Amino acid sequence: MALVLILLPIAAGCALFLLPRGERTISRLAGSAVAALTFVLPLVAQNGGEFSVRWLSRPFTAALHFAWTGPSLWLVLLLALCTYCAIVATNTAQNRSMIALLLMLEGCMMGLFTARDILAFALFWDLMLIPPFFALIEWGTHRDTAWRFLIYNFSGGLTLLLATAAFGVLSGSTDVIGSTHQFAGSWAPWIFAGFAFAFAVKTPLWPLHTWMPNTYAELPPPFVAVVSAVQSKAGLYGFIVIALPFLRTSMAEWRWLIVALALVSLLYGAFVALTQTDMKRIVAYSSLSHLGLIVLAIVSANPIAIKGALVYIVAHGLFSAALFLILGYYEEREETRSVLKLGGLGAVNPKLAGAFTIAALAALGLPGLAGFAGELVILTGVFRAGYFWPALIALIPIVIASAYMLRLLQDTINGPQLADIPQRRDLTFAEALAVAPLLAALLYVGIYPHALLAAVMH
Amino acid sequence: MHADLLPVALANYVALSSVIFFIGVAGVVLRRNPLIMLMSIELMWNAANLLFLAFARAWLNNAGHIFAFLVITVAAAEAAIGLAIVVIVFRSRANVDVDEIALMKG
Amino acid sequence: MGVAGSYPLLFAIWLVPLAGAIVNWAFGPQLKRAAGIVGCVAIGLPFVATLAAWGIATQSSGAAVGANQHLLSWMPGFDFGLLLDPLSLIWALIITGVGFLIHVYSVGYMWPDTAIARFFAYMNFFVFAMLTLVLSDNFVGLLVGWGLVGLASYFLIGFWFFKPTAVAAARKAFVINVVGDVAIMFAIFMIFAKVGSTSFVTVFAHVPALGNWLFLVCLFLFIGAAAKSAQIPLHTWLPDAMEGPTPVSALIHAATMVTAGVYLVARCWPLWNASHDAQVLVGTIGGLTALGGALLGVAQWDIKRILAYSTMSQIGYMIMGVGVTAYQAGVAHFFTHAFFKACLFLGAGIVIHELADEQDIRRMGGMRLRAPVAFFAMFAAVLAISGFPGFAGFFSKDAVVFGALEHGFPWLYVLGIVTAGITAYYMFRLFFVTFFGTYRGDLDPAQVGVTNPVEPAAHEPAHGEAHAPAWLMAAPVAILGVFSVIAGYVMIGSNSPWNRLFTQTFPSQNLAVPALSEGWTTAILFIVMAAGIAIAYVRYATPAALADAPARLRAESQRMPAVLVRLFYFDDVIDWLFVRPSQALGRFFGSIFDPDVIDGAVRGVVRVNTELGEVVRGMQTGLLRSYALVIVFGAALFAVYYALQGVAH
Repeated sequence: MALVLILLPIAAGCALFLLPRGERTISRLAGSAVAALTFVLPLVAQNGGEFSVRWLSRPFTAALHFAWTGPSLWLVLLLALCTYCAIVATNTAQNRSMIALLLMLEGCMMGLFTARDILAFALFWDLMLIPPFFALIEWGTHRDTAWRFLIYNFSGGLTLLLATAAFGVLSGSTDVIGSTHQFAGSWAPWIFAGFAFAFAVKTPLWPLHTWMPNTYAELPPPFVAVVSAVQSKAGLYGFIVIALPFLRTSMAEWRWLIVALALVSLLYGAFVALTQTDMKRIVAYSSLSHLGLIVLAIVSANPIAIKGALVYIVAHGLFSAALFLILGYYEEREETRSVLKLGGLGAVNPKLAGAFTIAALAALGLPGLAGFAGELVILTGVFRAGYFWPALIALIPIVIASAYMLRLLQDTINGPQLADIPQRRDLTFAEALAVAPLLAALLYVGIYPHALLAAVMH
Repeated sequence: MHADLLPVALANYVALSSVIFFIGVAGVVLRRNPLIMLMSIELMWNAANLLFLAFARAWLNNAGHIFAFLVITVAAAEAAIGLAIVVIVFRSRANVDVDEIALMKG
Repeated sequence: MGVAGSYPLLFAIWLVPLAGAIVNWAFGPQLKRAAGIVGCVAIGLPFVATLAAWGIATQSSGAAVGANQHLLSWMPGFDFGLLLDPLSLIWALIITGVGFLIHVYSVGYMWPDTAIARFFAYMNFFVFAMLTLVLSDNFVGLLVGWGLVGLASYFLIGFWFFKPTAVAAARKAFVINVVGDVAIMFAIFMIFAKVGSTSFVTVFAHVPALGNWLFLVCLFLFIGAAAKSAQIPLHTWLPDAMEGPTPVSALIHAATMVTAGVYLVARCWPLWNASHDAQVLVGTIGGLTALGGALLGVAQWDIKRILAYSTMSQIGYMIMGVGVTAYQAGVAHFFTHAFFKACLFLGAGIVIHELADEQDIRRMGGMRLRAPVAFFAMFAAVLAISGFPGFAGFFSKDAVVFGALEHGFPWLYVLGIVTAGITAYYMFRLFFVTFFGTYRGDLDPAQVGVTNPVEPAAHEPAHGEAHAPAWLMAAPVAILGVFSVIAGYVMIGSNSPWNRLFTQTFPSQNLAVPALSEGWTTAILFIVMAAGIAIAYVRYATPAALADAPARLRAESQRMPAVLVRLFYFDDVIDWLFVRPSQALGRFFGSIFDPDVIDGAVRGVVRVNTELGEVVRGMQTGLLRSYALVIVFGAALFAVYYALQGVAH
């Protein structure tokens, strides 16, 4: 069953290329139908969709082993939802190619999130980098950005593969995700470092983040919605299902370094977001800041903080996807991404402004929306684990987040009207269809996060 | 060692194989015509094949025979690709001197 | 803390305003002015429900007082529930009762505005959020309400979102309030780490478990309270918040939301009772805010900003009261203040409406003839806020000031008395300048000392219809004026209904008899207040002063001390200490550190690889035969190696 999640989107993506080049409607309908199917399937099939085939026996055992149990389920659902929304929101002359690549991206990441084998995880890690790379080549403004994205993330993929191989050789099997045993020995800290480097590049963690702002700014909105919302979680997911169950003691040895990097990411991203003028870069840097919080939760290894981290992974996925899609709508209408050239748009397209407001409020951690639940529970756990000062310092970016998010929001929708471009639709039905599920999910998770945790913690 | 199964001494096979092999090497290194070079490579393959068969016979181990078949297959594939390349090069340049072709220069 | 059980009435109180907000938000364009009716009903019903819930709020069983309804398990370890006990009852009554009057008034005030449905959606949402805050039975629920009222306040301050000043004020208010939110979050971390729960009843039963973190918990809770209640040094957002429509200022920035800090301290009385340091801290900040707000009120000319500083000052009194553990007195001052301050704001709103959005009192004058209802109601309210005997503020302010002495804080007692005099002075200054003399609005602004007259442009284009019925605005003001007189009568005597209501909520304390009796305190307060009124009268209301008003006002404007005009430089200090460094850091990181230092290092790695590539590049001749030669040579090396190996064996 899990194989369907992986192969169906990839096959559908390939099939879309059979359509004629400029085709718009069929590809959008077919793409969203496939994405919706991948959302419904894990919900309906309760057995976890286990699939397993022996792949290697020597020098260690490995299997093509996939299932969607535990935290996987939420990432699979988040991925399917974000892909669905992204495809619905895709509306350009290159619909066919864009949706095809989005589906392939979904299939590769489905493989990553359902993998029960670290080697399969590493394989899909590299595969998932390819669709965004082509998207950057095709629709980005600078070719450099595409290469930078690829080289940074592939170098992470390399250390991931090395660490996986070392892990497999020393422990005998990589078909282990979902179980728990502490892996010790003199190599363990270095194996952890190999994993951690890959995860830190992808998340990203300061100072490995410089591929991220340009990538997020140049990817077309549907792509950046999926990449920032879901692909950036691959590293955090890796920390949760690989580093924590097997290498916790090694992680403890690197503890203060990671805490320091997480705090620097939190503050650095927040300060930079405060002064950027490109809307997408503001959100990109806010991502750097927000995801530092999850790293902090993971390194504290406190059960409460981990629960909070899972909630926040979903929350951040939802609001960053919503934000990037909405920024895409604005960019399409106003033909600029600079907040300096915008203003007063709330009076022009109030529904769009309303959706933007909800997404921005979720991002700044408003109580009642999902972001708050994650932040509060993460930091409660981090504090309880004995990190007094980190918990206190991590509150500062929350204050700054309210400043930069409101700046982004208000400079766009409030104040007197600055730009004067005639084409000013309000939210169309298709656009609303793309963001409404995300906003509804933000509200649901914010009001009742327990539902989410109950499923993850069996 | 089963001498009775091998009427000719093993050393002779090795010597012959070596001679064929070095003829092949000399062909690849000294000639400038890619067709001749390909043929020389075939010679080297066959030198190796001869050894496989001789030793398989001498040691009663069929792995040698199997490998010989493998080598023949690979050699055929290699020849096909090599010839195709030569034809394409010849078409585009009307000249197949390998010293004149340095497309892969770093 | 409350008697657990099932109380449907609590849901009605809590959720009806939310329903009103949703209806107004979703059907705004269809509702048009009917949005006002929806808005009023959505507050009126909860008010009735709150009155009906009086019985369950005051019921008691053992140590438990009030009603506690479990809602849901939000996260493992975080349970949500509603709690209605006498303390939250008083708040809920004010929120819904005074809130209802302000909603009715708003129908008239917002009559010409096209976005009336949006306005009432926000107002109803605010009431819902505020009720969440006071009805929650745990710290996290309180924090949720705390954040949501901040959001409602943000929306309403920035209601006229095309005004850049309103937008900036809204952002400032929100960000400063988030400082408070995260402080409360940190207090919750400490509480949760030590007690393992966030519900009030569990936490207050385990105060000793907090150990040496008790003061820190109180400190961080109070930072939250100070941000919300505009206490020094987190007060700077409140005057700016007056950019919102006047009913908003009355409801949110005077009567209810800004008193949330008082509620928080009163709710957490077991913590404050246990920590003398926290009492000193909160009492002192409260006293200083009372004095500071009053001093700043003296220097203002904008009628709403004067009232804003007076709000800050009066909340200082309340905070001082609850800080020194005179909880009943602090809450009493909240109760009376809600009436007279709402009355003052709404009266000011009538005046502002009458003058087409003019807010500078120097350009008013003689308004007693043009707005008689506002004149009489505000007269009662000004007397009440000054603490004139027999008026509502008299009872509660007396109680707070005497409470400070009674609980062993004589310096706060002195602060309270001094502030009372200043309060009387600036409130009567406002009253005389606005309502007495002759109208000065048609004079040249410079003649009365106004250097930067504001062109009023607040309202969106009107529906094109005439004014609202006058009673819509007059009736609420009149009712609030009446309550400004009588609200204090429930507090007369030691066995008053007020004290009886709270006997089980707040502990009785054994206090030493203070040096000065309550009677003396009353007398001193009266003398100080009378002096303040007298000075105001001499300066602004004698026949000579009235005749010479424009010149005197101009002279006063020019002579105003810079330290007061610049508001004690708080805005500047915050700007230099936090805002500018943050922006400088952001710019440095974003445009220097990221591209030059980090990417510089990355480019360095790239360059090393490029150089290495150049070195090995020469070996790639592209000549087939040279490659073949190299291969042969390599193979020969291997052969030689293995041959030598063979020889060695």
